[in-house]
Amino acid sequence: MFLHILKYELKNGLRNKDLIIWLILFPIVLGTFFKIAFGSVYEKNEKFSAIPVAIVEVNENPAFRQVVEGIESADVPFLKASFVTREKAEKLLDNGDVEGIIFTEDKLRLIVKEKGLQETMLKSFIDQYVVRESIAKDAMKNAPEKVQDVISVLTEETAASCREIPLTQGNPDPYIQYFYNLIAMVAMFGCVTGMHITMQNQANLSALGARNNCSPVPKSLNILACITGSCIMQAVCMIVCVSFLAFVLKIDFGDRLYLVYPTAILGGILGICFGFLIGSLSSLGEKTKAAVLMSVSMLMCFCSGLMVADMKVIIADKIPWFNNINPAAVISDCFYCLNIYEDYDRFITKLINMIVISVIFIALGFITSRRKKYASI
Amino acid sequence: MQVFKAMFKVTKKRLPSVLAYMLVFLFISFVHARSATKDNKFEANRLKICVFDEDDTPESHALIDFIGKSNNLKTIENDRDVIIDSLYYGRVDYALIINKGYAKKLSAGETDDLFGSYHMDENYSVVYMGQLLDEYTTSVKAYITMGKTIDEAISSAEEALSQHTEVSMLRLDKGGDSHYSVDFAQYFEFMVYILISAVMIVVCQVLVTMNRKDIRFRTNCSCIKESKYTFQLFFGSCLFVLAMWLVLMIFGIILNKEMYAGRAWYAVLNSLIFAAVTATIAVFVASFEPKENVLNLITQVLGLGMCFICGVFVPISVLGEGVLAVARFMPAYWYVKANNMIAETEPYSLSGVLQCYAIQTLFAVAMIVLSVLVRKVKYSSAAIGTSVKKIAVHQ
Repeated sequence: MFLHILKYELKNGLRNKDLIIWLILFPIVLGTFFKIAFGSVYEKNEKFSAIPVAIVEVNENPAFRQVVEGIESADVPFLKASFVTREKAEKLLDNGDVEGIIFTEDKLRLIVKEKGLQETMLKSFIDQYVVRESIAKDAMKNAPEKVQDVISVLTEETAASCREIPLTQGNPDPYIQYFYNLIAMVAMFGCVTGMHITMQNQANLSALGARNNCSPVPKSLNILACITGSCIMQAVCMIVCVSFLAFVLKIDFGDRLYLVYPTAILGGILGICFGFLIGSLSSLGEKTKAAVLMSVSMLMCFCSGLMVADMKVIIADKIPWFNNINPAAVISDCFYCLNIYEDYDRFITKLINMIVISVIFIALGFITSRRKKYASI
Repeated sequence: MQVFKAMFKVTKKRLPSVLAYMLVFLFISFVHARSATKDNKFEANRLKICVFDEDDTPESHALIDFIGKSNNLKTIENDRDVIIDSLYYGRVDYALIINKGYAKKLSAGETDDLFGSYHMDENYSVVYMGQLLDEYTTSVKAYITMGKTIDEAISSAEEALSQHTEVSMLRLDKGGDSHYSVDFAQYFEFMVYILISAVMIVVCQVLVTMNRKDIRFRTNCSCIKESKYTFQLFFGSCLFVLAMWLVLMIFGIILNKEMYAGRAWYAVLNSLIFAAVTATIAVFVASFEPKENVLNLITQVLGLGMCFICGVFVPISVLGEGVLAVARFMPAYWYVKANNMIAETEPYSLSGVLQCYAIQTLFAVAMIVLSVLVRKVKYSSAAIGTSVKKIAVHQ
């Protein structure tokens, strides 16, 4: 009987267009938009590359020019300078082709268009030049006999004073969080499938429920078969979603993609359990239940950073326990751990967290839906 | 005005979902506007830096004070996982370790391997801080070479490093026109999403309902003239869109804390044109009579899609050439472009703005022509005849 119900549950799911639209098409579309929008933000805005700057030589300043040319010829150049006229420079700045204009007057002067780290770096570069100049002058005034030594200290290529300790081999692009949350969203949308299980088993809510209730199959078996069917369908949706992100959009999930799949599937099951619990809690109509579920899962996704990536950090600061019980946050955290951490400790903790939440949901769901009798409908 | 009345009865049922959208949007704009500033003075970025001082000497404390002057110091737990999380989520921009023996090495004039930094990737903060540290140590070393003691060297270096270059902004008031600041322009920019979502949800849904086969057949056999019917639908839709637009404009005045003036009126006109465009898009989509779930999908795809591709959610400058080439075929791109010009994040020219208006209007005209065509084909007597026959056969 289990297989019989399972078969019909699967058939039922396949013919449900909502499922295909919201669990397969929508994530694909949204994922594509995310890729278009955030795909190159990290490369362009955060990852270091030479800062383009225009230099207008009002007064000849060969020393400065020499310094700039020296920097440009370095292995990892800090500046990409172009020496131009004032009008040209302003046009370049206005169009966003350069980050700032340096005027070599008696004093160096900087004009920028925006306030940001790149502009700050330009400023600090000029500061540096000015500081070195003034130190050299100091030396001439106070210790003329050591000027040569001081200048050589200032100009020699010193080894970097800072040694970098690498933290991760994973993909450090913070925008990838949007894709984690996208997968979490698909997983949470599984709640609608989960809700259908209860609709089919509550005689006062659907004709199908009435029919199912008067069949001689034990309710537990019936529900178990339905849940299995839903999980299989949800798993397929999750696999499609992750595959699309990983292979079509070429999102870098770190080097453990084979673990991303089972994690996503577990997430999907969590979504179904959630829907199953909410569905069996109340006797609201189908549309209302679906609306409640959709808005609750969207709220969860919002809290885990689907719309605003900083949301999770804000919550981690203010109410850290919430990130451990918010299913969407737990799911997206799992992917984060897989990407960034080299050991499995935190990943496994999160995974157990996810399983515990699922088991609690499903147990509560069973408890609330058992022993319901319908004397008359 | 039977049709008009019926239409608003259906609209009323849709209002709660629109209200939800509007409230969220207005709330976010309100929070956003509170953090905005109108004056445009250059301020250097302050990075969030955490320092683990393993040396713990007066020299290392002096360095921490120096870093703290131009940056914000944060304390986090010295635990690898916490540091990774903080760096990844941007709670701190840079995690610095002052190695043991820093003071000794510095006074001996050695500058290599003084510090360590937890490294996530090669971003601007890392390069900036690397330079700052190098600069500090080089300056101290230079003063030591001059024959000063380490304490004197540190204080002289700090004095030298406290000189700041004068930085001015390309435009003194943000946006070249104080009546339309860059921050306020964002309100108009995000309006794209809310306009598309709300108009699609209501206008499209109402039109689809009014076009449902049984209702349509009933209307067709009533004595009301076809042209009158269309006019009333059109009038009703326009009225709704206009009302929504007005609400948004009034809220804009509240946000801006002053009546629109000067160039801001161009932005107001721009948004009115865009509202009209979304209305025509809604009419066009409605003529295909999509089911509710399909309509929701279309709404999301259109709303999010235009916002992501045309530079509403992310600035145009980070979008690739290919994406922008596609975006040019969407009205939102021209809306955003006009908005940017008015706010002078792009060079301003009146003819440029007018051109954007014209292109948006053309989109509207194209949508109207297309929907008339679709309707002609769908509701021609021949098409209705076949569909009636189909129903008859089924029964």
